Amino acid sequence: MTDAGESDEALIGRYARGDAAAFVPLYRRHEMRVWRYLERNVGNRATTDELMQEVWFAVARDAVRYEPTARFTTWLFTIARNRMIDSIRTSRQQVSLETVGYEAELVVQQLTTEPNAGPLAAVVVRDQAAALTQALGQLPREQRDAFLLQIEGDLSVEEVATITQSSFETTKSRLRYARTKLRELLSEYA
Amino acid sequence: MSKVPPSQDQPDDVDDQYRRASALDPSRPSEAVRRAVLAHAAQLVAKRATRDEGSMIKSTRRAVNQAWWRPAILGTLAAAALAGLMVAPRFLALRPPPAAATPSAPDTRTDERAASAPAVGPGSAAKPRASTRGADMPTDRARPKGNAPASDALAPPRAAMDAGLEARQRAPSIDSATTSIAAVPRPGAAVTPTDAPVDRAAAFRRAAEIGDLSGLKALLEKQVDIDSRDAMGRTALMLATLHGQTNEVAVLLAHGADPNAADADGTTPLQAAKAGDHPVIVTALQRYGAR
Repeated sequence: MTDAGESDEALIGRYARGDAAAFVPLYRRHEMRVWRYLERNVGNRATTDELMQEVWFAVARDAVRYEPTARFTTWLFTIARNRMIDSIRTSRQQVSLETVGYEAELVVQQLTTEPNAGPLAAVVVRDQAAALTQALGQLPREQRDAFLLQIEGDLSVEEVATITQSSFETTKSRLRYARTKLRELLSEYA
Repeated sequence: MSKVPPSQDQPDDVDDQYRRASALDPSRPSEAVRRAVLAHAAQLVAKRATRDEGSMIKSTRRAVNQAWWRPAILGTLAAAALAGLMVAPRFLALRPPPAAATPSAPDTRTDERAASAPAVGPGSAAKPRASTRGADMPTDRARPKGNAPASDALAPPRAAMDAGLEARQRAPSIDSATTSIAAVPRPGAAVTPTDAPVDRAAAFRRAAEIGDLSGLKALLEKQVDIDSRDAMGRTALMLATLHGQTNEVAVLLAHGADPNAADADGTTPLQAAKAGDHPVIVTALQRYGAR
């Protein structure tokens, strides 16, 4: 079976059994998803790099303990989230997301009010990503976390609820509020 | 935010917008992180492989030890129990009868033994010789057999082993042991080729060597020469010792195998057990007087 057609669970299983090569496609498949989840929650590239390394080190180390009772992505994002929370708790490189959010709001406002004006227009498309990041920064942490878990991890509401240790209804509400807020903030870029 | 009703959820629009914006996001993990992660993953596999090899060796050793010690302990206990069964009745029976102790008592016992020998002795092939053997038996070897357990017939006492068995082997023509005698074909002896004592002795040694306990016991019941030797002068006890067959060593000792029967090079079973690092066998041999 080729790596491209192999499931995440099969790849991590192969890696756990000693096939080092199985880790490469697994990493490449989820690298950006984990990166975005971390980076958009933490808001700091250096910290994200650090966390990224910790998360994947943990995946490699605990691969032998992975049991395919849950999807690999659920397991992966559980690790990512736990590492991120640990990082925030220890204030190792804590970033005030609220502060980022306020700054982001200014950027978003600027972009939304003057989307086609002067040199700013040239960078609108490019800055959409930045605007998105900033918009995410304006979300309450729980909503942002739930939204990023679902969209980057391609997880169901139940899986997000499991990872965040929240009830299904709470998780569902968080996701709805997060999307509504993002829709408002990004409506000009739709 | 709480003003936004949850029912207004339209995830597809926002999700698509998010994905489009994410595709434009130039931020990426650094190449150093990627290299570090992949290198670490590969290192872990290599370490695991090394550790697994080590643990496999350990578990194999542990399994070997378990396979060694369990039967060893059981064998030793069984040997001790058998020895107890053998020795205790003899001590009880050797006690002179308090009332009927007369100078002629030993002869009486000898006669009794001679009379009862066919019943407790070897197979039917040996029966015609029972009376002769009883008559030729030295007085000090004559013991009451009437009260001895059935296994006693298979396990000659230590004194008999020391005094008689070696002589029996060195001089097989002496009519002192059925199997040794039977090993030398005599006119009129009804020995079939398949049941030849020589073959039986070889099979007996082979059973001891490979650890075939049931085969060993079966041949012991056929009164095979327990100290018969192969071309290199090795007895069944020596072969069992050399191959670490603890159970077989215990059974052989319990049945009276000579613990000091050296091979053609002069190596004794005790020396072989020590050289082979078989501590349980060493202990068992020493208990039976091995030097």
